[in-house]
Amino acid sequence: MNGKQAEKPMLILKDIHKFYGSNEVLKGVSLEVKHGELVTFVGPSGCGKTTLLRLIGGFTDISSGDIILDGQRINDLPPNLRDTRICFQNYALFPHMTVAENVGYGLKINKWPKDKIAARVKELLDMVELQAFGDRMIDKLSGGQQQRVAFARALSLEPKVLLLDEPLSNLDANLRLVMREEIRKLQERLHITTVFVTHDQFEAMAISDRLVVMKNGLIEQIGSPIEIYERPANEFIASFVGYVNFMDGRIESIDSATRNTTVSTPYGEFEIHLDQDNIHTGDDVLMVIRPESVSLSIDCKQGGKNVLCGNLTSYMYAGSLAKCTVMIGNKKMIVDQYNPRDAKHFKHAQRVEVEIPRSVHLLKKR
Amino acid sequence: MATAELSLKLHSSSGSRVKDFLNANMVNILAAFLFLLLAFFLLYPILAVLIKSFRGPSGFTLQFYQNFFSKNYYYQSLINTLLLGVINTVVCLVIGFCLAYMTTRGPWILRKPLKIISLVPLIAPPYLFALSLIILFGRNGIITRALDLHWELYGFGGVVISQTLAFIPLAYMMIESTLMSLNPNLEESAYDMGASEATILRTITIPLLAPGLLKAALLIFVMTIAEFGNAAILGGRTPFLAPDTYTMITGESDFNMGSVLSVVLIAPCILIFFIHNYLLEGKKFTTIGGKPVASEPRKITPLIKIPFVIITTVAAGAIFICFAVVLAASFYKILGVTNTFVLSNYLDFTSNQSIYNSIRVSFTAAVIGAAIGVLLAYVIVRGKFFGRSFIEMISLSGFALPGTVLGIGYLLAFSAPPFRLTGGIMILALNCVFRFLAVGVEAGISKLHQIHIEIEEASADLGASFMTTFFRIVLPIMFPAFIAGFIYTFMTAIVSLSAVVFLVSPGFQLAAVKIFDAAVYGEIGIASATTIKLILIVMLCMAALNFISKKTKIGSSMSQKGVL
Repeated sequence: MNGKQAEKPMLILKDIHKFYGSNEVLKGVSLEVKHGELVTFVGPSGCGKTTLLRLIGGFTDISSGDIILDGQRINDLPPNLRDTRICFQNYALFPHMTVAENVGYGLKINKWPKDKIAARVKELLDMVELQAFGDRMIDKLSGGQQQRVAFARALSLEPKVLLLDEPLSNLDANLRLVMREEIRKLQERLHITTVFVTHDQFEAMAISDRLVVMKNGLIEQIGSPIEIYERPANEFIASFVGYVNFMDGRIESIDSATRNTTVSTPYGEFEIHLDQDNIHTGDDVLMVIRPESVSLSIDCKQGGKNVLCGNLTSYMYAGSLAKCTVMIGNKKMIVDQYNPRDAKHFKHAQRVEVEIPRSVHLLKKR
Repeated sequence: MATAELSLKLHSSSGSRVKDFLNANMVNILAAFLFLLLAFFLLYPILAVLIKSFRGPSGFTLQFYQNFFSKNYYYQSLINTLLLGVINTVVCLVIGFCLAYMTTRGPWILRKPLKIISLVPLIAPPYLFALSLIILFGRNGIITRALDLHWELYGFGGVVISQTLAFIPLAYMMIESTLMSLNPNLEESAYDMGASEATILRTITIPLLAPGLLKAALLIFVMTIAEFGNAAILGGRTPFLAPDTYTMITGESDFNMGSVLSVVLIAPCILIFFIHNYLLEGKKFTTIGGKPVASEPRKITPLIKIPFVIITTVAAGAIFICFAVVLAASFYKILGVTNTFVLSNYLDFTSNQSIYNSIRVSFTAAVIGAAIGVLLAYVIVRGKFFGRSFIEMISLSGFALPGTVLGIGYLLAFSAPPFRLTGGIMILALNCVFRFLAVGVEAGISKLHQIHIEIEEASADLGASFMTTFFRIVLPIMFPAFIAGFIYTFMTAIVSLSAVVFLVSPGFQLAAVKIFDAAVYGEIGIASATTIKLILIVMLCMAALNFISKKTKIGSSMSQKGVL
């Protein structure tokens, strides 16, 4: 990231398998996390993301494979001897201790001298802006404050890797956005390697350097948020990170110089700019058409390039956005119109024109 | 048109003032009636004991108490009882904690079997352990003879061991439920911060468990000092308060001293009840919810694992052996002495007669108890009258009362005119009803909390009278609670000994008393066979309860609270 030279990986997962009885919940997961990187495991529930996090933390034994932390194989180390710290979804703050005692727990366990503990606790509470709360009991804090305490506690021993298990899911929507930003800022400032788990794909895209999209115990794709959104590896990923209109097609020709490509579909031919090299002439493909990439106009004057005519069957105006459904023959296409200025006209429109952008991503059909 | 007719109808139907009054005050009338029942069958007998302890031939006197505190024998009895309580509580807590820790944190393969063995004693009457200790270590016990030992089982040691085994399930259940409610992420966090297993136990698990442990300790203490069977069977010449009360009444017919002993026994119970309420007021640690993850087994260090495994195996093994020897002994005249397989113990007429009597008494108690329990629950949850919480308290207090106290109380209250009930099935049944009322009430309360009052209000809104609403809406919804209360009262009543032992008449023997007598007189085979029959009956009840709880979701809360 940031154009810096590739640093040596802080955390390496090598072909990790995990069985619960005969049920294989992780089916060979491999990954490298760079120093200072924030990587997010994201996927539908049951995909194995939390199990993977618990494996890294040492709370669950791996069935086969290797976990390497900063060059050292840590498969057999229990959590108390691993240099990873976890923040649980429910924060798991000790209810019989004060905020300061919670934050200082790990320091005390590791036999820090009293004055150093006090100094470090103060530093951490300053960092999460809870200076005045050291003597409070946990149940006298709001959800957001509890989340900060948990974060401070996990950072107290300066772990090599910080593990965050759905840390924002117990907060209400507004606070979630605020805390998301704070966590990211702090993480970048401390340059601490972080593994984040969430089921919220938008949260994942907003906070991460890289996403690891998982499904059924396997990694489906690893990539930056932009790569995942704009160049999804398959249908699952394409529709997991937002709504998508798929359209079947076949590659008719590719101009090797300009990469201008003609795709034929049941609805006509489209001309697009191909910037992926796994597609060749004659391939059957799936066009990935994002609702917000399509432009809509009222006149329907057949014949333009990349243009289709259809019936506007619903137009849901919601201020910053209008959600439109256009039927092209019997094909339903969802179009998001941002900043909908002509809403008044569209409300009563019947026939509309839909323009597919040249930058459409293609998935090769197997 | 139609609305006008309807409103006219409503007006005319509410014309009668008496009806109106009844409709509005039915809950209060019901409450008053129930309170009278509680006062008469629960408070009055206890009061009778209290009065008897102060009333000599010439009116009020403190002479009996003076007697108690000046005679060395009574003093010794008190000390023994308290000592037994303390030792029992500590040992049960330690074993219960180890078992609960292993079944919630230990390796998967151990969890299920340990849990089953820990809970198995619940199906047996507590005095089963006295019986099995006699079979093993008595004067003619298998082990005594095999090793040619000359020890004395009868005494303090024997009572401690049998009592401990009997109260392991209670300790286990209470500790396990608090351990289960402890978010495993808390211990994992400590683990993650670098704490070792022992440090986690010391700094996280035990401090967070403290309120639960204290609660368990107080309850076990109260129940163990009041428990009658084991001490009476194995006490020998060592005096304990509960069996001494029995000897005082049946042997010496000294009702005054019997009452004094009862009051002394009841005093710590009341004291502890208040300490308990005071200490635990609001002392509950709450944590943010989330998906609770089942605790995965941790790599427990040998330092902790080895003693835990030893303690749990010894306890589980002892429980298992006790059941096995009673089962074996039921098929022999005297196991270890005359080793020929017989079925005569099961065919014994007096034993079967006593089982039949027990079923009749328990059935009667269960019907009445479940009905009163459901009504009380309704009054407690829906009523808004003064003294509601007082009614709740006394209806739940029966369990904490030593059985011997209620036994003597009934004897004093209902053996002479104007309220003569002795000699029949009714006094036994009513005694069980009011001792075990808490079960039915708890079942009813938990069921009622699942029902919104809006349902009843909707019915009233549609024009139904209180009675109609009660019979057409409330009772059908409460029916599962009635059944649960019925079965629980039945199976608790059928094994209970400490109160009914005072109330049985020579012609009407109960199974629990039969086992007690047979064990005391050395008829081990018959005692064992009768015990096995009782166990089978209780198992049937549990199966029925399990079936119902699956259908109605009422048992889950019951199995935690009810057995207490």
